[in-house]
Amino acid sequence: MLPDVDRAADGLARGLASRMTRRSALGRLGTWMLALTGGAAVAAAARPEEAQGFHFCGHIWTTGSCPAPFPMPRIDARGFPIRPADGKPIDNLGRLVDGNGFPVDERGRRLLDPDGRPLERAPRSRICEDWVPEQFGIDAVTQGVWYRCCNRQIRKLVDCCSRHRTRINGDAALKGYCYTGRYVFCVMYYETGVPC
Amino acid sequence: MVESFTPAGCGSRRRRRLALALFTGGAVAAAAALGALLGALGSLLPDGRTALLLVAGLALLAALREAGLVRLPLPQLRRQVPDRWRAELPLPAWSSLYGAGLGAGVFTYQPVATFWVACAGAVALGRPLVAAGCFALYGVGRAAMVVLPSRGDAAGGAERLARHALSVRRLNAAALTGLAALLLLVPAGGAEATTLQLGAGRQLDPSVSNGILAYTQRTGTARSVVVRPSDPVVFEDAESPALDGARVAYADAEGIRVVDWTTGEELARAPGQLRAPALQWPFLAFLVEDARGKRIVLSNLETGEFAPVASVGRLGMLGRPVIAAGRIAWHAGDARSSRIVVMELESRQRRVVASTRIGALTHPALSATHVAWVDSRSGRSRLMLRPLDGAAPVRTLVDVRARGTALWTTALWGRSAWVARWQQPTGRVQLQRVGF
Repeated sequence: MLPDVDRAADGLARGLASRMTRRSALGRLGTWMLALTGGAAVAAAARPEEAQGFHFCGHIWTTGSCPAPFPMPRIDARGFPIRPADGKPIDNLGRLVDGNGFPVDERGRRLLDPDGRPLERAPRSRICEDWVPEQFGIDAVTQGVWYRCCNRQIRKLVDCCSRHRTRINGDAALKGYCYTGRYVFCVMYYETGVPC
Repeated sequence: MVESFTPAGCGSRRRRRLALALFTGGAVAAAAALGALLGALGSLLPDGRTALLLVAGLALLAALREAGLVRLPLPQLRRQVPDRWRAELPLPAWSSLYGAGLGAGVFTYQPVATFWVACAGAVALGRPLVAAGCFALYGVGRAAMVVLPSRGDAAGGAERLARHALSVRRLNAAALTGLAALLLLVPAGGAEATTLQLGAGRQLDPSVSNGILAYTQRTGTARSVVVRPSDPVVFEDAESPALDGARVAYADAEGIRVVDWTTGEELARAPGQLRAPALQWPFLAFLVEDARGKRIVLSNLETGEFAPVASVGRLGMLGRPVIAAGRIAWHAGDARSSRIVVMELESRQRRVVASTRIGALTHPALSATHVAWVDSRSGRSRLMLRPLDGAAPVRTLVDVRARGTALWTTALWGRSAWVARWQQPTGRVQLQRVGF
C-alpha cells in the first residue's frame, strides 16, 4: 500500500503518461523554448530591414555581414548598397535615392531640408571596395561567389576578400572562395531574380 | 615613514615644517603628473563613451569588492618608502621623494580599489589638465594624513583610521556605486547637450559672436532672424544669420544684407539669388546656386573685390560657408566622398580637415582654435570637433543614434558648440548647446 504522497505522485505520473510521451514532452518543452528565443526572431522578421544580418538565407558559414546602411548587406550588381526589403537604391545614409543620387521619399519626391530646400545628395559607395577599407583600414575586393535558392529566386552570395587575416567577426579569417592570397573578411548578397 | 616627520625625526620643528611642506609638494606633484599622463593617454582614445561605460563597470566591480561580495586582488606594489633615504639624502630630497612615492599611488599598498577606478576615470576623461587637477587632490589627501594629525601623531592618526576600516569600506562601496550609476546616465557622446528653450516653432542656423546667439526662427511659413542678447532683435523675412560682433549678415528675398543689429543701420548689400552668408568684416562669403551648379563666393566689403573659392556641378555637394579668425570653411562632396575644407583667407591655402567615403560631412563651424562639423551615417548623426592645429584627435560632442533624427547647422564660440537637432518625422528643429 503506497503512502499518500507516493500515491499522489503515482497518480501524477500515470496522468502525465496518459497525456504525453517522453518525446511529446520534450517537444512541448522545445516549443516553449523556441517561443521564448524565437520571439525575438519573429519580431525582427516583422522589420526585415532592421533584422540583425549575421546569418541570412544561403549563408551557412560564420563570417559576419559586411557593413552597410542596413544590417542586411544587400548589394546591386556593381556592389552598391540597396534596400534589403525591395532592392531599391539607397545612399550611404540609408535613404532612397533617385537616378541622380538625390534622396527621395517612397513616391520618388525629393526630400526637403528644414528650410524647405531639396536635400543634397550623400555619397553612395561600394560596400566591399569602399566601405570596408575606410571603416577597417584594410584592402578589400569582391571575389568568391556561390549561389543558393532563397525566396524562390537565385541568390548570389559574395565574399568580400582581403589579405587581412582577421575577419569582421574579430577572429581568424577563412579562405572561403577567395583567391590570390586573400581571405574572407565579410559577406554580402545579390538577388538575381532568376526563379528557382 | 610617518614617524620621520617629527621634530625628533627632522631635527627641529622648523625642519619638520619644511619636511612636511616638501612632502606635500612632492605628493601633489606626483599625483598631478600621474593624472596628466593618464588623461593624455585617454585623449588618444577614439570613443569616450565606451571608456566611460568601462569605468562604470569597473566602479561597480570595485563596489562589490569593497562590500565584501567578491574577492578581487588589487594590482599593487606593497612597498614602503626606503627608510635609508632619511639617512643618506638631505631633508629636502628625502621628504620630497617620500611625498612623490606616495603621491604617485602605484608604488605602495592599496587598501581600497578606488584609486584604480580613479585611474580609469582619468583615462576616460581624456583631458590631461583636468585629470591632473583631480589627482592632485589625491596627493593632498596623502599629505593630509601626515600633516593634519595633532601633536605630530601621524602614526596614531593612521591607526585611528584603521579602526574604522569597515565603515570606510562601506562608504567607499556606496560612493563607487553612486559613481557607476552617474556614469551610466551620461548621455552618449560624453557631454551633456542642453536644449535651448527659445519658444515655439523651429530654430536653426545658429551663429555666435561674443557670446551673443543669432539663429533662424521658422514659425509656419514665416521666417525671421533673431539676435539674442537680453532683449531679442528680430529681422523679419530673413534667414541664415552670420554674426560678427555688432554686425549680422542674413539672406532675404533680395540677396544678402549686412546690418548693425544694435542700431539697425544697413552696412552692405549684395543683391541676387544668394544665400547662406558667412561674415567676418570685411569678408563676406555666400552661396550662389544656378543651373550650372553651386559656388561659394568670397567678397571684401571694403574693396569690393570678390571671387569664387569653391564650386561644384549640379550634382555636387557644397554647403553653407563659415568665416572665423581669418579662415573660411565649408563642406563639399560628390557621389563618392564628402569632406570639410578649411581655407586661410590671406594665403588662400586650403586643407581638408575631415573626409569620408561612407558618410556625409556637413555644416562646419569655425572658431579661432577649433573646427566642428556634422558626421551623418545610416541611423546615426554626430557633432564632431577637432582643434585646427591637429594637436588632439577628433572628438564626438553629440551622438544621436536614431533614424529620423539628424543634426543640422552648427556654430562654435569659445569652449561651446551649438547644433540644430532636426526631428524629421515632425519637422521640429531645436538648438542644443554643448561644452567641451
